[in-house]
Order: sequence, then structure tokens, then C-alpha cells
Amino acid sequence: MEQKDDNYYIEKVLGGETNYFSYVVEKYQDIVFSIALKVLRNREDAEEMAQESFIKAYKSLGSFRGSAKFSTWLYRITYNTCISETRKKKQHFTSTDDVQISDEAEEMNLDGIPEENRARYIKEALEKLPEDEYTLVLLYYFEEKSVDEICTVTGLSASNAKVKLFRARKKLYTILNEMLKDELHTIL
Amino acid sequence: MNMKREIEDKKLKAFLKSGQLESPGPDFSNRVMNRVFEEKAALEQVKSEPLLGKGFWIILSLFAGLMAVVFVMQGSGISGGQTFSFLKEVNTSAVTTGYQNFFEKLGAVPLSVAGILLGTSVLLFLEKYLSNRSYVLS
Repeated sequence: MEQKDDNYYIEKVLGGETNYFSYVVEKYQDIVFSIALKVLRNREDAEEMAQESFIKAYKSLGSFRGSAKFSTWLYRITYNTCISETRKKKQHFTSTDDVQISDEAEEMNLDGIPEENRARYIKEALEKLPEDEYTLVLLYYFEEKSVDEICTVTGLSASNAKVKLFRARKKLYTILNEMLKDELHTIL
Repeated sequence: MNMKREIEDKKLKAFLKSGQLESPGPDFSNRVMNRVFEEKAALEQVKSEPLLGKGFWIILSLFAGLMAVVFVMQGSGISGGQTFSFLKEVNTSAVTTGYQNFFEKLGAVPLSVAGILLGTSVLLFLEKYLSNRSYVLS
């Protein structure tokens, strides 16, 4: 089936054809769930909050003016919903912010990571990032959002977002380097 | 330096995209859509309901009636006995006395009671109006 622009589905839903909202859900469920999972750290809660985010988006669809991309708007709803939930539950994270950025973190030969292990490396490395940096990486690298759009989603200032992105990338390199070293040690 | 970072970013983008994001359970989409349809049905029900319910109109009518009676009995300066003098012609003295007593008492209802009734009606209206609005917006 031909992939249509988000606005096409939104117009359909607003026109009363609610079924079309399922296209939006299918398209964004993974990223919405990933953000929720990172913030809430529990699959059950993450599914509930991801669902809640879609319902909120559906109910507020009439107020979506299209000044930002629909995805940016949806991620902001998701992020805020999840953050509110953690505050409600007075959840405190054991921050994974203890990753020490190493000197070699400036550069990384990503091609050196064997292709068959890449998915595992990426998953494990992302898991080690704190939730705010994970969200930034997800939005910037996976979703190719601009810094401005990231600011809209997270409420960070542009300079803060840039600094956090820079640190997140260094941390990722550090984590990946450590993982590669460990793997080499295991082999040798 | 910026050029180098851009290249690094592109490489990292490509690398990360070769990984997979977490996925919710297999029936996640269906569950969301079921909730969406429930929300839609609830919203349509709210829209089809009149904004002002039966209770509001009953209270408003009672209030208007009471105000009219208070106005007739007090504003015109006619006493209860004069207003209902025609009743004396009918040979139902007990009923007449009852009516007279009732309307005399009603005529003496202080304005504060009318004010309370008015306030109640306004509050009922606001409660109904705001609960409808908040449901639609939530």
C-alpha cells in the first residue's frame, strides 16, 4: 500500500473515519513504546503509558495545528505523559549516569563491530544511557529530528540539548568500546 | 571540526538505525484502537445530550414560579385575604383557609430564600456545563 503523509490520516480521522488512526498507531508504536520503556523501565507500565499517549493524541487531534510535525507533537505527548507518571509514582531512577567517558570516546570505528552482533550492541549500549540522553539519541539519530524539534519534545533549551547530545554520543562510543574490548578478551 | 562531526553523526545514524527499537505486545495496536472507539462513542454520547438537563429546567421553573408568587404577593401590596376573596364565595371554608394560609406564608418568604434558590440554580447550571466541557476537552 502506498505510504501516505501523516496529515492525510489525521484529516481522515478528524473527518470521522476513526479507523485511519490505526495507521498512526502502527507507524509510531515502536518509538512511542521505546521512549515509555526507557522512562518507566517496566514493559507493563510502558505499554499502558504508550497506549495513554495515543489516546491523548487522539482526543487532542482537533487541536493539532500542524505548526510542528505530527511525530514531534506525538513524542512530546508521550514524553510528558511518561514523566508525569514517574512523578505520580514518585519513582526515582538509579541513574545510569555513571558511565565514565573515556579518552578514546572521541572517535569510534563503528565498522569494526561485526554486523551479526550490531543489533545486540546497539540495544545494550542504549540501555546503559540515562533516560534523557536515550530520548535525545532516539529522536536525533533514529528519528532524524532537528535540535529545535528535540527541544519541543523535551522542553530543553537548544544549547542544553546540544551539550546532552554531545555527551550521549561520547558515552555511546565509550560503552561500545568497552563492549568490543570485553568481546575481544573473551575470544582471546 | 564541524564537518568531521557531521560525518561522525551520519555514521552513527546509519549504525544505530541498523538496530531495532523495542516493540510493544502483538495486540497493542488493537487495544489502542478499542480504546479509541470507546472514547469516540463516549464523546458522541456527550455531544448528543442536551447541555442543560431536565433537573436544571425543573429548578429554574420552580424558581421562576416562586419569584412570580413573591412578586404578586409583595410587590402589588395586595394582601392574601383580598386576592383570594373569591374563594370565600365558595362554600369550602377549610380549603379556602388552607390556601390563604399557604399563600400568606409564601408571600412572606424572605428574599434570601429566593436568593439561595437562584444561587443553587446557577451552581447546578455551572456544574453541568463545566462537567460537559471538561469531558470533551480531557
